[in-house]
Amino acid sequence: MRISTRKLLDRSFSSVGVISIALMGLILLVILVPIFRKGIGALVFEATVEHRRLILDNFDHGDDLELAAEIKSAREARQPVYEMVQAFESRQQAKIDSLRPDLETLAERDDSMGRLVARRLKRLGPDEDFLEQVETIQQLVPRLREYGDGDDAPKEIAAISSGITRITSQTLAFAELKEVLYDLLGPAPGEPMPQLTRKQYGQTRWEKARETIDHLFFIERWDYSGPGMGTLVREPRVEQFRETEIEPLFAYVEGHAEAMLQPRWTLYWGFLTDKPLDSHIFGGIYPELIGTIYLTLGAILFAVPIGIIAAIYFTEYAKAGRLISFLRACVSTLAGVPSIVFGMFGLAFFLNVWQLPKGVLAGSLTLALLILPVIIRASEEAIRSVPHTYREAALSLGAGRWRTIVTVILPAALPGILTGIVISMGRAAGETAPIIFTAAASVAAPLSLNPLQAWDQPTAALSWNIYNLCTEHEAADEIRHVQFGMVAVLITVVLALNLFAIILRARIAKKLKG
Amino acid sequence: MKRMKHVVSMIVSVFLVSTSAGWAQDSVKLVLDGSTTVGPVAKAFAEYYMEKNPDVNVTVNESGSGNGAKSLINSTCDVANMSRFMKVTEFSAAVDKGVLPVAHVVAMDGLPVLVHPSNPVSGLTIGQIRDIYMGKITNWKDVGGPNLQIVVVSRDTNSGTYETFHELVMTHTVDGESVKEKIKDGAEYVGSNGAIRARVQSTPAAIGYAGLGFVDKSVKALDVNGVAPSPLTVVSGKYAIARPLFMFTNGYPKLGSHTYSFVTLHLTEEGQEIIEDIGFVPVTKY
Repeated sequence: MRISTRKLLDRSFSSVGVISIALMGLILLVILVPIFRKGIGALVFEATVEHRRLILDNFDHGDDLELAAEIKSAREARQPVYEMVQAFESRQQAKIDSLRPDLETLAERDDSMGRLVARRLKRLGPDEDFLEQVETIQQLVPRLREYGDGDDAPKEIAAISSGITRITSQTLAFAELKEVLYDLLGPAPGEPMPQLTRKQYGQTRWEKARETIDHLFFIERWDYSGPGMGTLVREPRVEQFRETEIEPLFAYVEGHAEAMLQPRWTLYWGFLTDKPLDSHIFGGIYPELIGTIYLTLGAILFAVPIGIIAAIYFTEYAKAGRLISFLRACVSTLAGVPSIVFGMFGLAFFLNVWQLPKGVLAGSLTLALLILPVIIRASEEAIRSVPHTYREAALSLGAGRWRTIVTVILPAALPGILTGIVISMGRAAGETAPIIFTAAASVAAPLSLNPLQAWDQPTAALSWNIYNLCTEHEAADEIRHVQFGMVAVLITVVLALNLFAIILRARIAKKLKG
Repeated sequence: MKRMKHVVSMIVSVFLVSTSAGWAQDSVKLVLDGSTTVGPVAKAFAEYYMEKNPDVNVTVNESGSGNGAKSLINSTCDVANMSRFMKVTEFSAAVDKGVLPVAHVVAMDGLPVLVHPSNPVSGLTIGQIRDIYMGKITNWKDVGGPNLQIVVVSRDTNSGTYETFHELVMTHTVDGESVKEKIKDGAEYVGSNGAIRARVQSTPAAIGYAGLGFVDKSVKALDVNGVAPSPLTVVSGKYAIARPLFMFTNGYPKLGSHTYSFVTLHLTEEGQEIIEDIGFVPVTKY
C-alpha cells in the first residue's frame, strides 16, 4: 500500500469517528434539551393567584397576608363577571316565572299531564338552582307536544312549549359558558366547596388559563357537512349571547384576564418536596423521589456485598475450569436478561414463595438481582487490572491471601468497583419493569424516613409513575408538565450519579497515585 | 478517606436514632390493586381517606382487574378493584386458598364507544359494533362514514373492561343459543383506558372503548342503539353497554376497620360527589 493511500484511509477513519461522536452528541441534545425545557416547566412557570391559594391552603407555603390582598383584588376584578352572569340568570328566571301562570292552569287539569306538571311545578321557583329548573321544564317539552296532539288539549299548550324551548336553547349555551368560567376561575364566591381538589380551584398555570380563555371566546365544533372527515370549526361564543347581559363579558375578560388571575413567574420548589394532590394534578413528586431513593439504595445495599465477594471469588480463589467458565457465562447471560423477567421472578419468588409483602424490600431485592451481574463484572475487571506486582509484593512481605486482598487489592481496585456501583445505581433508579409487581403503587403516602417502617410499604417511584401518568391517568393530557417534570428529575438523578462516578473515580485514582 | 468515614458514621447514627425513635409506632397499611377503570375512584378515595386518617397509608396500584383478582387470591392486597365480576375460576381459586371474595359495588359505569371527533359517524348499533370488532365490517363507509379502513382498538384481555365488552357486545344469540364472537386478529390491544383514548384521539380511523370517567372532548362517544352514554342512560339501563364497578374484599370487612370504612366510602355524600366529579355514576343518587 502506498503511503498516501494509507494516510487517506487513516484520515477518513478518524473523520468518521469525529462525525459519529458529533452525531451522538447531537442526538443526546435533541432528546435531552426538549425534555429539560418542558420539565423545567413543572418548577418554573407563570403561576396564577389560584396556584398560590392552593399552595397556601394545602402546604402552608407562602405569605398569607400578601395573598389575602391578592385574592381580594382578584375577586374585585372578577366581580363584574359574576354580576353579568347573575343578571342573565335573573332575567331568564323571570322568563321561567312568567310561564308559571300557564303551567299552573295546566296543573289543575285532572289527568296525567296535569299531575305531571303539578309535580314539576314544585321544583320551580327562585330558591331552586337555575340550571336544574331549566332541565325540569325542558323535560316537559316532548310530553307537552305529545299531549298537544290530543283532541281535548287546551290551545295554549303550543305557546307554552315554544316558550320553554326559547328559554332552554339559550340556557344550554349559558350552561356551557358557565362550565368554562368554572374551569377558569373555580367555584364562584358563595358556591359550595367540592371534594376534589381539581374542582376547588381555577386554573393554576397561566398558559392553561390562556387556553381556557380561548375556550371561553370560541366554541369548537366539528362540521360534518362536507364529504369525508369532519373539519374543526371555531365560532366566537359571543354570537350566542348577542344583546344579552352576557355580551360585554367577553370584552371584559379580554381586558381584565391578568387582573382576574394575577399571573406571576414562580419557582415552585415544592414540586420536589410536596406530596401530590388529587392524583398528581397538583402538588409535587416527593413520594416518587423518596421511593426511588429507597429502592436504589436498597438494591445497592444487597447487591454490592454479594457482587464484590463473587468478584473476589472469581478472580482470586476460583481455579480455571469448566464450572467457573460456566458460572461466568451465567453471569454474563444474567446481565442480558430483560428486566421484566427479573420483575416476574421477583413476584414469583419474593412475593409468592418467600411471602414478602409487596413493598420496598421486595422491590430492592429484585433490583439487586438485576444489577448484580453488572457489579460482579465491573468489580472483576477492576480487581483483574490491579498489577500483579502488587500481589507479589504483599505476599512476599508475609501477608496472607485474605490480607492481601483486603489491604492491597481491594483499595487499588476501588475506583473501578465504585464506578460499577454508581453506574448500576443509575440503572436501578431508572428501571420500571422489576418494580411493577414487587413495589410500585400509583398513589401512596410518602415513605417514612425510618427504614424499619418503610420496608414493607408499597411506594410510588419515578420510573413507574412516569409510565402510569402518561398512559393510565384519567387526565393525562392535562398534566404534561408533571410528566415532563418527573422525566427531567429522573434524568437529572441518573446524570448526577454518573457524574459523581466520574469525579469519584478521578479523585481516588489521583490519591492512589500520589 | 477520613471525611468518608465521617459521612458513613453520620449515616449510621442517623439510621440508629431514627430506628429507635420509630420502633414502637407502626402505621396501618391498606393495599389496593386492580382495575385501571376503578383507578381514578380508588386514587381519589385513597387521598381523601389519608387526609382524614393520617396514620393510614393507602396505596393504589393499577394493573388490571385480572391482576387485582390474583392479588386478592394471593392475599397480597386488601381490596381488589375490579371493573367486572370475579370469574368462576377466580372464585374457586380464592376459596381453595381460604379467601372469600365479597363484592362492593362502588359506582356504575358505561362503556362509551369512542371515535375520533372528526369522524362523521354519530351512532352505531350493537350489531354494527360487533361486526366491526369481528372484522365483518372493515370500512367506515359501510356504516355511513367516509371511505376509510377502520382501525380496531381493544383493551388487553387481562382487563375487566375487555371482559365487559366481550360479554355485552361480542356475545349474541344465534338460533336460541348464546355465541361469544372473537375479536378479529388484526385488532390492536392496549393496556389501559388512557391508552385507548390516546390511540383514538391520534388516529382518525380508530374505534375503541373506555370507561365513562376517561371520556373528554378529545374523543367522540357514539350513540349506541340510538342512546348517548350519560349518567342517566347508564343507570337506567337504556345505554346498552353499562356495568357496575366493584371493590372486592376477603370476607365482609370487620365493622369499624379501615377496610370497612374505605369500601363504604362511596355511600357517603363526599364519596358520591367524588365519583360524580370524576365522571362515573354514584350507586345511590339517581
